[in-house]
Amino acid sequence: MPVSDAPLWEVDAVSKAYPGVQANDRVSIRLMPGRIHGLLGENGSGKSTLIRLLSGVDRPDSGEIRLKGRPVSMANPTEARALGVATVFQEFSIVPSLTVAENVFLGRWPRRAFGLIDWETMNRRSRAVLAELDIELDPEAITATLSVAQQQLIEIAKAVAADAQLIILDEPTTALGLDEIAQLHTLLKRMRSQGHAILYVSHRLDEVTALVDEVTIMRGGRVVSAAGNTEVEVDAIVGAMIGGDVKEHYPKVRNATLEPVLEVVGLASANGARDVSFTLHKGEVLGLGGVLGSGRTEIARALFGLDRIVGGEVRVGGRRLRARGPADAIAAGLAFVTENRKTDGLFFNLNGRANISSASLRRFSRLGFLDLKREERDASQLAQLLELSRGAEEKSVQHLSGGNQQKVVLARWLLSETRVLILDEPTQGIDVGAKLAVYRLINRLTAEGCAILLISSDHDELLAMSDRVAVVRHGSIADIRPPQQLSHADLVRAATGDAISEGRKVA
Amino acid sequence: MRRVFDAQLLGPLGAMLLVALVVSFTTDRFLDPGNLSNLALQVSIVSLIAIGATIVIFAGGIDLSSGSMVALLTMILATAVKTYGVPLWPALIGVLVFGALLGALNGVLAAFLRIPSFIVTLAGLIAFRGLALMFNNGSPIFSLDPGLEPVFYGKIFGIPLPFFYLVALYGAATVMMNNTRLGRELYAVGGNPAAAKLSGIHVQRVQTYAFIIAGLMTAVGSILMAARLNSGSPNYGQTFELQAIAAAVVGGASLAGGRGNVLSTLVGALMIVIVQNALNLHAVPSAFQNVILGLIILVAVGVDMWRGEITRAVRRLSGRAGTSTAPAGSRAPKAATKPASGKSVGGA
Repeated sequence: MPVSDAPLWEVDAVSKAYPGVQANDRVSIRLMPGRIHGLLGENGSGKSTLIRLLSGVDRPDSGEIRLKGRPVSMANPTEARALGVATVFQEFSIVPSLTVAENVFLGRWPRRAFGLIDWETMNRRSRAVLAELDIELDPEAITATLSVAQQQLIEIAKAVAADAQLIILDEPTTALGLDEIAQLHTLLKRMRSQGHAILYVSHRLDEVTALVDEVTIMRGGRVVSAAGNTEVEVDAIVGAMIGGDVKEHYPKVRNATLEPVLEVVGLASANGARDVSFTLHKGEVLGLGGVLGSGRTEIARALFGLDRIVGGEVRVGGRRLRARGPADAIAAGLAFVTENRKTDGLFFNLNGRANISSASLRRFSRLGFLDLKREERDASQLAQLLELSRGAEEKSVQHLSGGNQQKVVLARWLLSETRVLILDEPTQGIDVGAKLAVYRLINRLTAEGCAILLISSDHDELLAMSDRVAVVRHGSIADIRPPQQLSHADLVRAATGDAISEGRKVA
Repeated sequence: MRRVFDAQLLGPLGAMLLVALVVSFTTDRFLDPGNLSNLALQVSIVSLIAIGATIVIFAGGIDLSSGSMVALLTMILATAVKTYGVPLWPALIGVLVFGALLGALNGVLAAFLRIPSFIVTLAGLIAFRGLALMFNNGSPIFSLDPGLEPVFYGKIFGIPLPFFYLVALYGAATVMMNNTRLGRELYAVGGNPAAAKLSGIHVQRVQTYAFIIAGLMTAVGSILMAARLNSGSPNYGQTFELQAIAAAVVGGASLAGGRGNVLSTLVGALMIVIVQNALNLHAVPSAFQNVILGLIILVAVGVDMWRGEITRAVRRLSGRAGTSTAPAGSRAPKAATKPASGKSVGGA
């Protein structure tokens, strides 16, 4: 294994701020040739920002990035690629309609006279690269016919074909099965032996400990632990990832009662929810914990009538709900604040008020005509309650801040007289002040008897704001417990597939 | 009613009045009552069809079939009246029902079967005219009914009836878009169908309603067309669909859906017809007229899209000029205040 003492890439005290958040705060990291470097941290810890800086997507506010000791400044991803950095993002940059070889040489196809593509050379060189990496793929196969895992291998082949010296992988195993993960790791180890530097970003501890040579752990935009060369210990990592103290203040008020409002028995959907059973009580906050892709959102979608139900039963307030669409679910008193307010939450062509009232139009209309005065009055009451910025009701929501946009979406469901509110990552990407407003709103709603299903990848938030926490794995609820009986470490472990210590089921 | 006269309308309205002003100075016949009345009649049929075209655009679709539908509906009316002796008024109501049904067909194919509305109505554009040609061996049918012509040529207090149709139907469409649940749902569906679905709005149903309204408005246009010439013909209505879409677009409707104002479409239609009239009065050859119309559409949409940049550039220029007396600087912002494509619509 060719190991050199001089780092290939060096990130030195780099800081980067986005509006409202210091994403990276004096972060330093050294990437050696011939080594696999693990980068760990929870969501929002600053891993993605660091990747964006290294791959030229964003530029640091301060600090220095050095390649072989020389400071470099990368204005865009093309310049980073020219310097030998290849990044495999979670969303692949692969063109499904092209062949494997065309993707491997994407944009750099070997040419013949008149700019025609030299297929022979391209296929031959692709075959060589794939053989070098021991990847069994036909260069002439159409990429769309391949599995996700195989497409990921193409991304790596692409990096090798481009002579990349540093390969960055962002959560590469999210969509892979165990065999495929093993194949990927074998490939990475082979590349390590060829002298490549690899930055492996993940929050799955089990694979990191099995693979990496050294590890850097981030929390709140800072490097909290850089364990170069040492034996990587799971418990130490968990401790470093979650931190000793609770970073923010969570004003939790307990309003849970024993009166059931949502009863779910054996629910299964065509889109991945499997045998989901739980009971939600009036005034209760039930947290759903689990990794990305564990099926938490799919459970919410099934409840809300967005995916076809293939089994089980849902009761709201004792009455059977057969939701064939969101309209049925809303009529039964359900509400769903989705994770991505930009794609399926907001109407950017409408002003704040029309956004707030969009789920309550039936209530505001008589014989098809809208009572605009009542709409204005009710919406402005909510705007006041949620401390919406001045004039937000009249403005197009595209001119509002992320926090105010989120308040608009929340207000929509407060207006629609909700009995069960499903919140999917409600505080993602909003500032601390807006987060507090969301927490206060949760308290207020539960005090009024509303029940809340809280999906959150922020473990602090999940444990602090929930009355009970359900751990979701493979579209099913594995365990429900009060948060006092569930530690940070349990959640992280549960997310990575380890059994929860002293598993005791509480219904 | 505050919303009726918002900035989204004021932009095109100002531009239209400016054009009218220029034309009235450069010719002596433009303001002639005979000429104006002629203009109104000329623009009325396409303007009514444009109401439907605009509402379909608001909902995020497009309707290319209306021109051919006019041919088909006038032939159905003519055949019913002449061949089968159906009394006039039931026949007219029948035309309205047929129009709504053809619109519903477009809507169901586009919304429920999820075939892009461009394709569905392109098929309609071709097929409806084909159907129209199957009546009477493809020949026009003349002298339908003595009671039909007054529907178009009739007057109340000396004002031609089509003027009243325009006022009534544009008024109704404006009220519908601003004050009814369906109007709000149309804007919501056009703006973000995924969010509309999550808000419990029946997206496909709402999209279908838009096409039904378009079919109804096309039926009204067809009746006026038949009344104007007291006949039905498989050749009627050619390029009406494009003229209707042009009126909507010149008026400031966004083809991306969700944005615009129905009254702006009327202004857009008037703008086009005034320019056409001015070119006629100046004896500009018709080939050249078409080139100019094409340019108007490009400029209107271009100004709308690049409004922000234009405003900034103008500000920079007038800032450099130092005073607001620079004539170039004081005229340009007028164009730049064209309707905001980013402007929001919603409650009053």
